[in-house]
Amino acid sequence: MTPDVIVVGTGLAGLTAAVRLAQDGARVVVLAKGIGATHLAGATIDVLGYDPGRVESPAAALPRLAEERPDHPYARLGAAAVGEALGWLGAQVAAGPLAAYTYEGGLEENLLLPTAVGAPKPTAMAPVTMLGGDLRRESLRVCIVGFRQLKDFHPMLCAENLAAADAGGRIEARGLELDLPVTGRADVNAQGMAQQLDDPAVRGALVQQLAGRLHADERVGLPAVLGLRDPHAVWAELEHRLGRPVFEIPTLPPSVPGMRLYTILRAALRAAGGRQIIGPEVVGPLGGGPRLEGLRVRVGRREDVRRAGEVVLATGGFASGGLALDSRWHARDAALGLPLAGVPADGAPRFVPGYFDDQPMARAGIAVDDELRPLDAGGEPVYENVRVAGASIAGAVPWKEKSGDGISLASGHRAAGLILQSARAAAAAGATLEAP
Amino acid sequence: MTTLRADVLVIGGGATGAGVAWDCALRGYDTILVDRRDLAEGTSGRFHGLLHSGGRYVVKDPDAAVECVEENAIVRRVAADAVEDTGGLFVTTPDDDPAYGDRFMEGCRVAHLPAEEISVAEALRREPLLNPGIKRAFVVPDASVDVWKLVWALAGGAAAHGARVLTYHRVIGVRREGDDVCGARLRNELSGEEIDVEAGFVLNASGAWVAEVAEMAGCEGIHVAPGKGIMIAMNHRLVNTVVNRLIIPADGDILVPIRTVSVIGTTDIRSRHADELPVTQDEVDQMLDDGERLVPGLRAARALRVWAGVRPLFEDKKTGDTDSTRDVSRSHAILDHLERDGLRNFLTITGGKLTTYRLMAQDIVDAMVRQLGDDRPCRTAETGLPGSEDGEPYRLGTRLRAREEELRTEQIICECELVGRTRLEGAMRRRGTINLDDIRRNLRLGMGPCQGGFCMYRAAGILHGVGRLDGPQASGSLRHFLQERWKGMWPVLYGDQLRQARLDDWIFQGLLDVEHVPAETAGLPTPVDAELEPATLA
Repeated sequence: MTPDVIVVGTGLAGLTAAVRLAQDGARVVVLAKGIGATHLAGATIDVLGYDPGRVESPAAALPRLAEERPDHPYARLGAAAVGEALGWLGAQVAAGPLAAYTYEGGLEENLLLPTAVGAPKPTAMAPVTMLGGDLRRESLRVCIVGFRQLKDFHPMLCAENLAAADAGGRIEARGLELDLPVTGRADVNAQGMAQQLDDPAVRGALVQQLAGRLHADERVGLPAVLGLRDPHAVWAELEHRLGRPVFEIPTLPPSVPGMRLYTILRAALRAAGGRQIIGPEVVGPLGGGPRLEGLRVRVGRREDVRRAGEVVLATGGFASGGLALDSRWHARDAALGLPLAGVPADGAPRFVPGYFDDQPMARAGIAVDDELRPLDAGGEPVYENVRVAGASIAGAVPWKEKSGDGISLASGHRAAGLILQSARAAAAAGATLEAP
Repeated sequence: MTTLRADVLVIGGGATGAGVAWDCALRGYDTILVDRRDLAEGTSGRFHGLLHSGGRYVVKDPDAAVECVEENAIVRRVAADAVEDTGGLFVTTPDDDPAYGDRFMEGCRVAHLPAEEISVAEALRREPLLNPGIKRAFVVPDASVDVWKLVWALAGGAAAHGARVLTYHRVIGVRREGDDVCGARLRNELSGEEIDVEAGFVLNASGAWVAEVAEMAGCEGIHVAPGKGIMIAMNHRLVNTVVNRLIIPADGDILVPIRTVSVIGTTDIRSRHADELPVTQDEVDQMLDDGERLVPGLRAARALRVWAGVRPLFEDKKTGDTDSTRDVSRSHAILDHLERDGLRNFLTITGGKLTTYRLMAQDIVDAMVRQLGDDRPCRTAETGLPGSEDGEPYRLGTRLRAREEELRTEQIICECELVGRTRLEGAMRRRGTINLDDIRRNLRLGMGPCQGGFCMYRAAGILHGVGRLDGPQASGSLRHFLQERWKGMWPVLYGDQLRQARLDDWIFQGLLDVEHVPAETAGLPTPVDAELEPATLA
């Protein structure tokens, strides 16, 4: 039996689920209101960075987290599933259309990569173009290079904070701002800059401007703008011509490494025969359960119905519009109207005045069971053929924990696995019934 | 210890104090203006932006209405650059008594307020989002005023006439020689340094805080009850005309279009302390319900921000007066400490409203001139403020037009409010501040829909270079600004603004990890309510 699946949402969770399903022979269509959060995030795979202290090894920290917080998504998923998903993603990227561009890392040890403001951020897996910035080295001498035209990256601020964050004096960092008058405009964003650097002449100008300005053993950190078409070649060429390690640092959105990851997963989806439709908005369920018959979908002003055997709901959290809170403080999932868990009771504060304090509303989301099915207030599955993946799952504070990518990737991967598994079970059962 | 000398020390850098400093400077007095925080950070910076036509007071307080009618015309002239000529409407909603409109028109006639009744259809044509159930509508010359522009123009004008403006300088003692007040001791709130000011006269224009200052001079019995009012800024200009509900002034009955937003206000709740201004979710709910009466669907629109301000409601326990002492109208009060306490060279002013800031300044400076036996007439009604010399009012779209001309040459740092890099760097140099919130009040940096989500990192990076800060200082400025923006966002986080706030969380925590960057807080102000006992959440 071939499962017929609609995946709602085209961020990391939705694409992961869709690719895995399509590769295993399911008929898959991805419906998404718009491009997902891949274009907003740094595209490092953050699995668990803080808990609440800095996490050195996600493999060691995840079982403890699952035990301490049984309502956390990782308690549903388990460390093994996260490790499996990381391996799966690494293989997809390696086999993808961006040639030698790969993801490195794993669950055993977090990398420690610089952010654009100069914070050392723990992450499990990152593009090969970022690894040179790993701050766990014995000693590190870096020159952070930015561009006057790119207001979304400030090299001196980044460099000084990197040095200040390192108490042991292992890191020596300075900033350098280049004026690369490439577009004829005062302003360019990361995407525009990456398109420029796809051009060999612009890379030549960059190398020329750096000539003679770097110290002998200095690495070069650049904003993550080293090309969209063939980033590995751009990065390798710069390493070669500058004669030293070069690394990328994620910037404010739009995220160039995020676009690359999206390109890779979308190509994998197409190659496996999956389809993607951008524009339709899922506005409600078809059928009352326990089996969802399909989805009510709005395109422009027209409302349509799409039938589906299985649904993966990967619409994202409040930032992506997957979850919504109205002015009367009613919170729900925007696509199916599922109830949310973790919403403070009426009259209790949803937020508190300290920005970095624990925000009561932060963990709100859709509660799921071990099969990732959405649960109602009584803890019963609402639909048996809906799996929830990604940032709409309740229980995490992903931006604080640095756990968003790991949750999305692992839940998307697991959702696909569960659908495939139940399809196989159904097929086996069918075979038994049909046997004489 | 440094000692500064001046003819006049003005305490309080709101619209009144800055107006007083401007008035003094124009009359030729060497003047020092001080505030414990930035200019217009207290009551002046926390109102809805309405330049009253007087219509709100014609029935309840005719004297105040007359003052507003006169001052509205003067402020439009002398501070034109800070005023947008939006016009105003008074409307009777389905919940209100239409007969009140007749009392209103009679009040307007008495106050010489040019008002005109228009048909409901015409009102809805002008403002299509208005409640279609309104029963009557009246046009009045309300306007909106950009208070930061106004107050900085007043201070800048005063400075151009030799005045010195000291922000973040708190008065910690009032100096006396016998029965003569002769200056004050100040503490720089950022560095801790103390300085003395020797002044021939001290004018206390500290609004809701006048009692604290007067007590330092030994004057007891002044009571200013802080009347808290909350306001919510909506993302769009839901209306382009000021809309007032035609009733005896109540909560949630004004919607003011100002710059790129519209502001719904306000409430009146007694607060324990002028620095204690919590906003509760119940108050927000009430305000949104009130707003629905004027513009149905307001709840579905995007709320950007909420804030609370305090009206200084004055009461003199010594004389029993609840309003003025003499020489002044009822809407503001001047305390002559010579008459009241036997102290020379010391006057206090409080009460009033932004629309009448100029008149208040004129009244207190006139009183000072009389006590000094000088003959220096007031010139503020005829003298245009810096930037307003041509008398041309501000128009929405001015920034956009300027931006179009520099599209290829000027980097834009705050897209929401169209703040370019050159202006930002200029303001950072001019102010010499490391507090991005100071820059916000000058340029509207971070005041748009994303509430700084995209410009805060950029501004911190630029400040790092311009201010010659080290990395942790710049990160401290960034974190301080993040907290300042959050302060007004969290009680109204729902709908699309929650979506925006989550994106900002992903940027500042998920992507940049600002929480774990080394940050230095020296040189940044601490919250004014930091030393108060915690308020119990309602």
